[in-house]
Amino acid sequence: MEATLDSLLLGFSVAFRPDVLLYAFLGCVVGTLVGMLPGIGPLAGISILLPVTFGLDATKAIVMLAGIYYGSQYGGSTTSILMRIPGEAASVMTCIDGYAMAQKGRAGAALCIAAVGSFIAGTFGVIALTVIAPPLGAFALRFGPPEYTALLVVGLVFLAYMSSTSLARTLLMASFGLLLGCIGIDVMTGHFRYAFDIPELGDGIGIVPVAVGLFGLGEILSTPSHSVTTRVAAPRLAELLPNRTEWRQSAMPIARGTVLGFLVGIVPGSAHIISSFLSYALEKRISRHPEQFGQGAVAGVAGPESANNAASTGAFVPMLALGLPTGPVTAVLMAALLIHGVPPGPQLVTEHPQVFWGFIASMYVGNLMLLALNLPLVGLFVNVLRIPYAYLYPLIIMFCIIGVYEVNHSIVDVWIMLAMGVVGYLLRKFDFDPAPLVLGLVIAPTFEMSLRQSLIMSNGAWTIFFERPIAGSLLAVSAGLLVLSLVSFLLKRKDWRDKLAEASSAESQ
Amino acid sequence: MILRRDHVAGGAFVVAAAFLFAFSSDLPFGTLASPGAGMMPKLVLVLLMAFGTLLALRAGESPPLAEIAWGDFRHAATVMAVAAVATGLYTVIGFVLSVSVLLFTLLCLVERRPFWRALIVSIGVTVGSYLLFNTLLKSPLPPMPFWS
Repeated sequence: MEATLDSLLLGFSVAFRPDVLLYAFLGCVVGTLVGMLPGIGPLAGISILLPVTFGLDATKAIVMLAGIYYGSQYGGSTTSILMRIPGEAASVMTCIDGYAMAQKGRAGAALCIAAVGSFIAGTFGVIALTVIAPPLGAFALRFGPPEYTALLVVGLVFLAYMSSTSLARTLLMASFGLLLGCIGIDVMTGHFRYAFDIPELGDGIGIVPVAVGLFGLGEILSTPSHSVTTRVAAPRLAELLPNRTEWRQSAMPIARGTVLGFLVGIVPGSAHIISSFLSYALEKRISRHPEQFGQGAVAGVAGPESANNAASTGAFVPMLALGLPTGPVTAVLMAALLIHGVPPGPQLVTEHPQVFWGFIASMYVGNLMLLALNLPLVGLFVNVLRIPYAYLYPLIIMFCIIGVYEVNHSIVDVWIMLAMGVVGYLLRKFDFDPAPLVLGLVIAPTFEMSLRQSLIMSNGAWTIFFERPIAGSLLAVSAGLLVLSLVSFLLKRKDWRDKLAEASSAESQ
Repeated sequence: MILRRDHVAGGAFVVAAAFLFAFSSDLPFGTLASPGAGMMPKLVLVLLMAFGTLLALRAGESPPLAEIAWGDFRHAATVMAVAAVATGLYTVIGFVLSVSVLLFTLLCLVERRPFWRALIVSIGVTVGSYLLFNTLLKSPLPPMPFWS
């Protein structure tokens, strides 16, 4: 514990450097805006701004990009509460009771509760991350190729199990991502795979063009400008404080949402989205007045907002400690670290302590910044929402093109981004979630390498995955989850995910 | 039989994966003791075909294909076409011209915004972005060929 505190002090010495503070602040501001604006989520925001960080060192880059991520969770609540438009997917549940509170003249209180809940959850998440990540990383040093193969399998199965769409759809998307990850030169044999004589494809398909295409351009193509309204009324500063009853009603939902969100965040999947749905369902289930949900229940804002912030912090645990991305956003952040020559994983704490602890310390500071930014300046931020969407989306397309081109200065990447925009549009039409695709693409090289290394080191004996205790345990977990899904399917029984999806769709209508 | 959404989606993945599998004949699978470059792609293609088939078999739970709303298709296709033209011109005529054309076309012709406002916004935003990336962030954007 003493060593952790010493390391954290080292982190604060990095995080309090004026230049690092500046980039944390920039990340928080941009993240808040990204979260507020419909049509551009944290993933597209981070991907587009990734090239901007190329001139920075790894610490400043990751501090800024992570600021965008958790800042977007704060910003997403503003549009949900004031306009009933979720700025990003994790804020969908806040729309229901947040907007109902705004209709009753309690928009300021809803915004304050959302911001305070987010702050408490974010800070708790960082404390838990501080305590959990280093020992988990130390444990992961025992991992060899079979363990990594099993870990990635369990990650994919968990993702499919947690998904609100069907197991087959999620695994289909993950397989599609794995296939895209196979494009390029095979590093072990030098074979060109599906490169179609295009030299730029020799290095494979980058995560940035795919992520920006699927989530940035794909979202724009699916959002016709006439369908976005921009009427918004900003609450006055004096209206921001909740009354005593509202504070009391929000205390326990914030606490429950925080713990639930963090635990869900560690599990692979679009954790920050799932956690807000779970928290809303939980609060409604245990409430003495469930009939108030949908009519402006304070718990319906406090719980989900805390949960999605805690989950976005929790997602950093496997990313930093194991080098395992639990969702597309952490996958892009991992790519950012790799671009800066800092591989995330068990050795991050020992080999790059300044980056690791500086990043963690900056999250404490970032959460404070966001609280200070989001409450007093909410009136200023909502002015951005007054920009008509017809003007906004061409700018987003421009930033998509700049962002993708600047990564490798390759026009082929921009064409890939456009193609992925079309794919993203079609996937939405056919009700596919593109997130597993991005995750599959990111883990493909590690997965293939560890699988082949495992087979080579065992001389072709696939039982190596079951003979080693850690790998065997991880695969047993995967098998258990698959059996649970199969039983639910065979018995035609609705499990918690179906009920949750039904409840949330009913509430949203 | 009513053609449903997942019939088409699952079928498309099966056909595409089968085509790619046939196309992958030059990639050696190798052996378990010495896996080749084709092992991973072929395993993944088999998975794609399996999950695609499963999706198509369970298509009865999905809505009919005709129920998919395509009302936004025209707008999406127009935006894509304009973005594709701008991308084609990006390295040919440079960032400033190609992106100005992109923004102006989308604002004035697609979104029917007033001509002068669209023109001023397009040029202003493009030049501002060029200065931001090229000058301030030292991240070079494609120059106009006759400029330098």
